[in-house]
Amino acid sequence: MLIVVCIKQVPDTTQVQIDPVTNTLVREGIPFIANPYDTHALEEALRLKDQFGMRVVAVSMGPPNAEATLRKALAVGADEAILLSDRVFGGADTLATSNVLSAAIKKLNEQEEVGLVLCGKQTIDGDTAQVGPGIATRNGYSQLTLVDRVDQVDLAGKKIRVRRKLEGRHEIVEAPMPAMLTVVRELNRPRYPTVPLRLESEDREVKVWNNEALKLDVNSIGLKGSPTWVSRIFSPEREKGEIVGDGLHDPKGTSRLLIEKLLSKDLLPV
Amino acid sequence: MTVEKKPVKKPRGKARLIEGRCIACGARCESSCPVNIISMNDAGEPVINAEKCIGCVKCVKVCPAQAIDMFFTPEEQQLLDELMKTADAALEEDDPEAAALASKLAQYRNVWVFIEQTEGEPARVSWELLGKGRELADALGVELIAVVFGEKVENLCHESFAYGADKAYLVDAPVFRFYRTEVYLKALCQLIETHKPEIILMGATGLGRDLAGAVATVVGTGLTADCTGLGIDDKRNLMQTRPAFGGNIMATIMCDKFRPQMATVRPHVMTLPERREGASGEIVPISCPIDEKDILTKVLEVINDKKGKDHVDVAGAEFIVSGGRGMMGPANFALLKELADELGGVVGASRSAVDAGWMPHDRQVGQTGKTVRPKIYIACGISGAIQHLVGMQDSDLIIAINRDKEAPIFEVAHYGIVGDLFQVVPELVLGIRELKQQ
Amino acid sequence: MTPNFIIYAPLLAVSLLFFSWSCYKRFALIAVGQPENRFEQLDQRIMGVLTYALGQKRVMARSFGLNHAVIFWAFLVLLLANGEFLISGLFPALNLALLPGPIHHLLQFAFDAVSLLALAGVVLAAGRRLFFAPDYMETSYTSAKSAEAFLILGSIALLMLAYFGLHGAMIAMGKESATYMPVSGLASTLLAAVPAENLQALVSFFWWLHALVLLLFINYLPHSKHMHILTAIPNCFFKSLEKPNTQPREEFVKGGRFGAGSVDQLAWKDLLDGFSCTECGRCQSVCPAAITGKPLNPRQVVHDIKINLLKGSLEQDSYVPGQPLIGTGEGSVSEDAIWSCTTCGACMAACPVLIEQMPKVVKMRRHLVQMKSQFPEELLNLFENMEGRSNPWGIAPTDRTKWYATMDVKPFDADTTEYLLYVGCAGSFDSRQKHVTVALAHILDAAGISWGILGKEELCCGDSLRRLGNEFVFDKLAKQNVALFNEKRITKVITQCPHCFTTLKNDYRQYGLELEVIHHSELIDSLLTSGKLKLNHQVKELGKIAFHDSCYLGRHNDVYDPPRNVIAAATGSAPQEFERNHENSFCCGAGGGRMWMEEQLGSRINLNRIEEALAGKPDTLCVSCPYCLTMFADGIKDLQADQIQVKDIAEVVAEGLRPVNQ
Repeated sequence: MLIVVCIKQVPDTTQVQIDPVTNTLVREGIPFIANPYDTHALEEALRLKDQFGMRVVAVSMGPPNAEATLRKALAVGADEAILLSDRVFGGADTLATSNVLSAAIKKLNEQEEVGLVLCGKQTIDGDTAQVGPGIATRNGYSQLTLVDRVDQVDLAGKKIRVRRKLEGRHEIVEAPMPAMLTVVRELNRPRYPTVPLRLESEDREVKVWNNEALKLDVNSIGLKGSPTWVSRIFSPEREKGEIVGDGLHDPKGTSRLLIEKLLSKDLLPV
Repeated sequence: MTVEKKPVKKPRGKARLIEGRCIACGARCESSCPVNIISMNDAGEPVINAEKCIGCVKCVKVCPAQAIDMFFTPEEQQLLDELMKTADAALEEDDPEAAALASKLAQYRNVWVFIEQTEGEPARVSWELLGKGRELADALGVELIAVVFGEKVENLCHESFAYGADKAYLVDAPVFRFYRTEVYLKALCQLIETHKPEIILMGATGLGRDLAGAVATVVGTGLTADCTGLGIDDKRNLMQTRPAFGGNIMATIMCDKFRPQMATVRPHVMTLPERREGASGEIVPISCPIDEKDILTKVLEVINDKKGKDHVDVAGAEFIVSGGRGMMGPANFALLKELADELGGVVGASRSAVDAGWMPHDRQVGQTGKTVRPKIYIACGISGAIQHLVGMQDSDLIIAINRDKEAPIFEVAHYGIVGDLFQVVPELVLGIRELKQQ
Repeated sequence: MTPNFIIYAPLLAVSLLFFSWSCYKRFALIAVGQPENRFEQLDQRIMGVLTYALGQKRVMARSFGLNHAVIFWAFLVLLLANGEFLISGLFPALNLALLPGPIHHLLQFAFDAVSLLALAGVVLAAGRRLFFAPDYMETSYTSAKSAEAFLILGSIALLMLAYFGLHGAMIAMGKESATYMPVSGLASTLLAAVPAENLQALVSFFWWLHALVLLLFINYLPHSKHMHILTAIPNCFFKSLEKPNTQPREEFVKGGRFGAGSVDQLAWKDLLDGFSCTECGRCQSVCPAAITGKPLNPRQVVHDIKINLLKGSLEQDSYVPGQPLIGTGEGSVSEDAIWSCTTCGACMAACPVLIEQMPKVVKMRRHLVQMKSQFPEELLNLFENMEGRSNPWGIAPTDRTKWYATMDVKPFDADTTEYLLYVGCAGSFDSRQKHVTVALAHILDAAGISWGILGKEELCCGDSLRRLGNEFVFDKLAKQNVALFNEKRITKVITQCPHCFTTLKNDYRQYGLELEVIHHSELIDSLLTSGKLKLNHQVKELGKIAFHDSCYLGRHNDVYDPPRNVIAAATGSAPQEFERNHENSFCCGAGGGRMWMEEQLGSRINLNRIEEALAGKPDTLCVSCPYCLTMFADGIKDLQADQIQVKDIAEVVAEGLRPVNQ
């Protein structure tokens, strides 16, 4: 049985800034990394592999240089890595992306049964959290988002029980497999690759599948298959910090002033 | 004698990348090029083979960062200028495609807001969205409709009217008691198919995002997450503004060729509209035949985090009140606990406070502790050493209370109070309590 | 003097054979270690032997060490006497009396005199062990009052007594003259009462006593800590000529093993160290981890490596370790011990026989990190931040330029700027250390230095990675840095952090990068001395200043005087010294990557140092390292000693640059 982990290569967003003078994006020398949430998904897959002996396949849709991210997945123990790369995949929004990923998963399923698909809860560049549900819906898998604990995997009965982390509450949910899980950081601590595995992964094959392999309608993928598009980017207005009142001499008044400010922004849970 | 007037061919120019503008959006220009002359380099920037460019301008239009423009040689520019002078008033091109699209889109009307509830308890963000939805519906001249799913939740329809909805679609059946993706998905898609809304708004909550992503996929439309701004442009399209790249840039997203236009909005982003007591509207009951037997997914248990006090999860908390060395001793953390309780949050600590043994290590925020991203982070008596800052600087809102006005914590704080935390914190507790009693 | 040849000859032969076999067994074990060239620069090696072995320099660094030196020198002289004794036992005609008279007499006197000194030495040593033993002699596997120690001391005493007995009896018999052997002469007067016919029996008795004790002593050596008598001199010869923390590089090829997870993965010199340890306990007495009650004891590490090596078996060509090197119990080093090391190098500076304790710890870290991915969880962040963003905190590299918001700072350009100011991660990102960077920048400008920075192109030097055993990532980072420095044609570098300093200066040399690296304290010293930097007033506002030696500046790089000169020049008086200063300085607790780990075992190292500082009641603690700055600022707050402030040396000087009227 396969566990498919979807990993996105993202720019290290903490390093993305808008140049205050030219109002353009400063991207020079910004490295690409594996989406941090996805590394937790990979870790969970590897743990399930250790426990049940399933095979872990890492899949990423992206430009050719996303191979580096998949290689890192191999370095921590993924059995196989597949890069979905084709110029017709480019410019995709979440709808078109989930189309490509779900097609690749279906193709994998033809070779070996896919039991689980794991993704991070969202990516740090897009923050949409939509690709996971997109895959689940397209492939008819159980959809379990925001998983912070995997309680039970019943391979014989094809059932999985997880805990989901929601606002102010947790839910224990049981669902049939195959299932698509999106995971939160609290789920686990990703492992650090050993040097021998890293060195070995340098020579391992990262398969590349293009649209000839997936045979998708070009109007349903890439830019053409994307209903949404970015019409404009701009720099966010950064709120400068402010010192509120005179806390030293008027703690009471200052406290009230702060509460008012928070209220005006609807930030207090009252 | 007449000279044959040869029609002058209008120069179309060549596409060109403007240095430093590209944001590596993901190869939109490459995909848009009909003659495949754009390729991407390792940095994700386009390399344009200008010689072969046919000047179709598609890449220019598709670029979200206005990083591509058309380049004309001086001769071409001159020619262009002359043509401009002689040309008649610019003719609008007639586009049959556009007309077809317009008529397709025209079938979709009204603004919907999905009313989220857990065991009958509505999520406040739904009311916030009704406020925004009202604005959008008024701008479009259409109805604002609340979509209420659940078991015995008719009261939420009335509540929706109080917050501005004109109408409510009510799906009320035992199978809807707990949120399960497939159940809600089926019902909402059926509703969309029959009633064709042009805009659907949902809270960017765990539930809202789970449902929205699935619905948009089935319906085959665009979905924009975590919007911070919503508006209507001159063509009745929804302009959806949201942060991208971890909030370092803002992007305005359009979905102008598909309907419905779906967006999620994080809680506390839109203002809560004033509640109009007794406002009424039409409740439209919708039946959705789903048999519990067909649904294999089961919610076995819902655990309310506020009840489970034994385990404190600093990393996942929405409100954190943290103390540092300025707390002077372990007993004083009770003060912070009081404030955290009022906010429904937890108490965190800096490394020094943990090192001093005042708090256990699982409460530690920072480089060697937990990385947190709460809605509000209140740092009390924490100077803001770098090792602490890296663990909490991504919090939505940071409040610092410290006696030392030079403390580095104030550099990252949105609100700073220079003062004695032993005076300020109790006042904050009192203030919030008073507020709650009102 | 006629020992029985029939008995003595086989006895001697068996003894020598057994001794040779014991030595062979041990040296064969040493040979299972990894190859490492310790033969280059013979002149320095010979100097090392002369200074540390024959000269006993480190031994005498502590007062009681003189006692050992006396015994040692006595033994050197007695080597000749005992050689003669063993040989003439077989062939009585072969003896020193064959030498010209005056030389023979001189030797006789020397043997007689040093035997007395040696006897006195062992009596004193025994007395110290019995009555005045320092705490650090105690450890889990031995103690001041160990039987082994008294066996050895007793043997030596017996040897000396037998010597005097033998020669006393000979003098009494009139076979030797007391003229050149005053002590033996004294012994002969004690034997005056013995009837003449019994004297020959006494001679035989003392001769056999001496012979038996000597042969037993020789054969006991290889099986005891006194193996050091044989190995200490070679150990000094094979000393590391690198700076203590400049670890050998590792070559990252597939199928390789990295670091030391079993004893045979250590270098042969590491194993020789195990047999050279004299168990004096000095390393233990200076180790910040051991002093603050952490599970690391450098002496124990060396001992465990020896035990581990001995437990394995040598079969044919292969060595099979008897137990894991990293683990629990005697013969294994615990992970807690391995992660407790601050790599301060105090152990190495204290060791009289130049054992390299700390590099062994780093080798074991390399194994844990690189082969096992096993390390304290706090380090995961650090490792990923280093690899992803080239700084420990994971801050965006573009923020490296934020410290000079209000200053005009030039980028480094080999054609127009002389020095690169390598700001370092702390100097770029840490809000406290940024003040130091600004102070230093003002000083450089005031002295008219031509300098520039790398700005957002600057990378971390990788110090913490290397000390923590993440050599793989360090290697990548070092190569990037070397390429960057070469590309920019950088030759002169100013650092404000001793860790950057040592890494750029010593570690990168292994990558073929030769730089002139100057710590800011050295630079400021030379600027003040040459008159290029003139202060506007003498700094009095900081009160009494105590100076703390950073391990990586002092012990690791021998920079002791420049910071002191700077303080003296800036304030008009020499800084107050800590009780432990210069090469005895005590770590702040942050080196060796400890900065990025929790300190949950034992008491806190920084508090130990602050308490020491408090004794001198200084107003200001002056440091020269960002780690020390952080650790001391924290320590002072913890001890609520707010009357003291911590300043970097650059800040002290910058104080003097302020206009007088302000």
